[in-house]
Amino acid sequence: MTTRTYDRLVTRGDYPLRCADSEDRFHGNRLIYVHWEQHLMFAAPFCLPLPPTLPFGALVRDVLPDLYGEHPEFEQIDWQRTEWTNSGKRFRPDFGKSLEQHGLAHKSLIRFRTPGLDGIWRNITPQRQAF
Amino acid sequence: MDTRVVKKKLGLKDRYAAMTRGLAWETTYQPMDKVFPYDKYEGIKIHDWDKWEDPFRLTMDAYWKYQGEKEKKLYAVIEAFAQNNGQLGISDARYVNALKLFIQGVTPLEYYAHRGFAHVGRQFTGAGARVAAQMQSIDELRHYQTETHAISHYNKYFNGMHSAHHWFDNVWYLSVPKSFFEDAYSGGPFEFLTAVSFSFEYVLTNLLFVPFMSGAAHNGDMSTVTFGFSAQSDESRHMTLGIECIKFMLEQDPANVPIVQKWIDKWFWRGYRLLTLVAMMQDYMLPKRVMSWKEAWEMYAEQSGGALFKDLARYGIREPKGWKDACEGKDHISHQAWATFYQYSHAAAFHTWIPKEDEMAWLSEKYPDTFDRFYRSRFDQWAGMQKKEGRWFNQFLPMLCQVCQVPMMFTEPGDATRICFRESTYHGMKQHFCSDHCKEIFDDEPRKYVQAWLPVHQIYQGACYPDDINPASPGDSPVREVLRYYGVKGGADNGDFGTSPDSRNFAEWCGARLGETPTPGAPK
Repeated sequence: MTTRTYDRLVTRGDYPLRCADSEDRFHGNRLIYVHWEQHLMFAAPFCLPLPPTLPFGALVRDVLPDLYGEHPEFEQIDWQRTEWTNSGKRFRPDFGKSLEQHGLAHKSLIRFRTPGLDGIWRNITPQRQAF
Repeated sequence: MDTRVVKKKLGLKDRYAAMTRGLAWETTYQPMDKVFPYDKYEGIKIHDWDKWEDPFRLTMDAYWKYQGEKEKKLYAVIEAFAQNNGQLGISDARYVNALKLFIQGVTPLEYYAHRGFAHVGRQFTGAGARVAAQMQSIDELRHYQTETHAISHYNKYFNGMHSAHHWFDNVWYLSVPKSFFEDAYSGGPFEFLTAVSFSFEYVLTNLLFVPFMSGAAHNGDMSTVTFGFSAQSDESRHMTLGIECIKFMLEQDPANVPIVQKWIDKWFWRGYRLLTLVAMMQDYMLPKRVMSWKEAWEMYAEQSGGALFKDLARYGIREPKGWKDACEGKDHISHQAWATFYQYSHAAAFHTWIPKEDEMAWLSEKYPDTFDRFYRSRFDQWAGMQKKEGRWFNQFLPMLCQVCQVPMMFTEPGDATRICFRESTYHGMKQHFCSDHCKEIFDDEPRKYVQAWLPVHQIYQGACYPDDINPASPGDSPVREVLRYYGVKGGADNGDFGTSPDSRNFAEWCGARLGETPTPGAPK
C-alpha cells in the first residue's frame, strides 16, 4: 500500500471522493441557504430544500414569511428596496424567474439586507456594511 | 540446609523499563514497517524511539491496585447517593440539563478516546509510546463506565437521558463532538495524539472538566463530583502524555515542526469550537454559577496556554492561528449558543429557559462589554413573545458549518451584529464555513470534509426518518417525524423547562419531602 496525497491530506492508499451532499440525493430539490442580515433573533441562516424551478417571487411570497414572519420588522419590508447577494455578489432578482435562472446552484447562499430595518438591538446602531 | 536464594527485586523505574523496553523486540519474520504500518505515512520522522521519555512510570500491577482502590471509593459514594435520594439535594432541577449534555455529548467521547488510544497503542513502533497509549485507553474506558454509572441514577428520575448513544450518532448538536473525534481518530497516530492528548487534553481540558465538576459541586451533585476526583489523577497523566508527545516529535527532526504546527492550528480550533457547548453550559445551565466562561478562558487558556506557547517557541512553534479569534470569542460564544438552543430546544434532548432576572444581572456583570449591548434584547424579546403567544421555537433547520458542524451562529470578528460567512468551492460544489479557521481546515483536506455527515442535510436526504416515512414527502411536520426517529418525546425530553415534567416532578418531590406545597407556579 502506498502513501497518497490529496491536497494536503496524506493517506495510506486510495481515498475515494465521496461527497455526502451531492444534489442528486435531495429528491429533486437543491439546498438553498437563506439569511436576513443582522436579524439575529434567528440564530443562524436557514437551510432549505427547494425545487430549482421555484420562481424567486414564490420564495419571497410563500417561503420567507414562514421563516421570518414572527419578526416584528418583517411586515415592514419593502421588497423593492431589498438588497440581495449570492455568495457575496450583488444581484437583482426577477420575481418571475426561477432559482435556476438566477444561477442559484445547489448550496447557494442568498443573503438579503433591508435598509432601515436592522434588527432588534439595544442602544447600538449596527455598522452599515455595504455588500 | 539449603541456601536461601534472594530474588532480586526491581525498583519501579526498572520494572517500568522492563515492561516498555524489555518486552519489545525487532521483528525478523516480517519487516518492522509491515508490523507497524501506520506511524510513518504522516511524514513524522522518528530517528530514535529510545529517546521517548515515559510520561508516567506506572506498571500494570500498580495501575490495577491504584485504580481498583479509587473505584471502590467512587462506587461507595454513588451507592450512598442513590440510597439517600441525592437527586433531591441538587440546587434546582435545571441543573440536570448540564448532566444530560454531559451524558449525551461527553461520555461517548470517552468511549471514542478508548478506541482511539487502543488503536495508536498498537500502532506506534516505540514500545514506550505504545504502553502509555494503552494505559490511557483503559483509563478512557473506565471513565466511560463510571460516568455512565454515576449519571444513570438521574435517568430514573429525569427525562432526556435514556438513549444517549442513539442520539450521539444522529442528533444535530451531538454531531459536533462526534465529528470532532471521528476526525481525530481517522487521522494517523501522531495526528491523533496531537489532537487529543495535546490540543484537547493539555491545552483545553481544564475548560471542560473544571466547569462540569465545580459546577456539580456548587449544585449539590456529589456523585458527579466524586467521579471528577476519580478521573482527575488520570487526566494529569494524560496531559503529560500530550506534552511529551509534542516535545518528542519536535526534538526528533526539524522537518516535523511544520507538520506539528499545522496540526496544532487545526486541533486547537476544532477543540475550541467544540467547547462552545461547555461555554453555554457554564454561563446558562448551572443554577449556581462557578465562574463565567470568560473568566475560565482567561485563567486556563490565556494564562496557562500563553505560557505554554512561549515555552514551545524554542522549537519553532507559535501559538495556534485561531488564538486571537478564540480570545475575542470569550465575550460571545456562550450567549450565541444558548440563543441557538433556546430556539431549537424542541428539536434537542434537553430543556432550555430564559435566564431569570438575577441571572441576567450576573451575565451583565460578567460580560460588561457585550451582554447588554448584543444579547439581552433577544432574551427580552423572546420572553415577551412567550407571555403573549406562548413559547417561540424556530421551526426551520439551520445552516451548518461544513467543518465544525455547529449552526452558522458565530459572528464576524469585530462585529457581533453580523454572522460570519466563509466559502470555498470544491469539485464545483459550494462549501460554507463559520470562520477563517474552519475554512482553512477544509481547504487543506477537502476530500476528508466533503464526506461530512451534516445532520441537517441528512434529514433532508431522508436519513433521519422512521421507516414508515417517505423522505421525499415527510408530511406537514418533518421535525415531528425526526423526533420520532430520535426517540425524543417532545415536551418531556425537550422544550421549555418551565412546562416540563422534570420541573413539575422536582417541585412536587421537594414539596413532599419538606412537607410543603409544591413551588407555586409549577404547572400541574
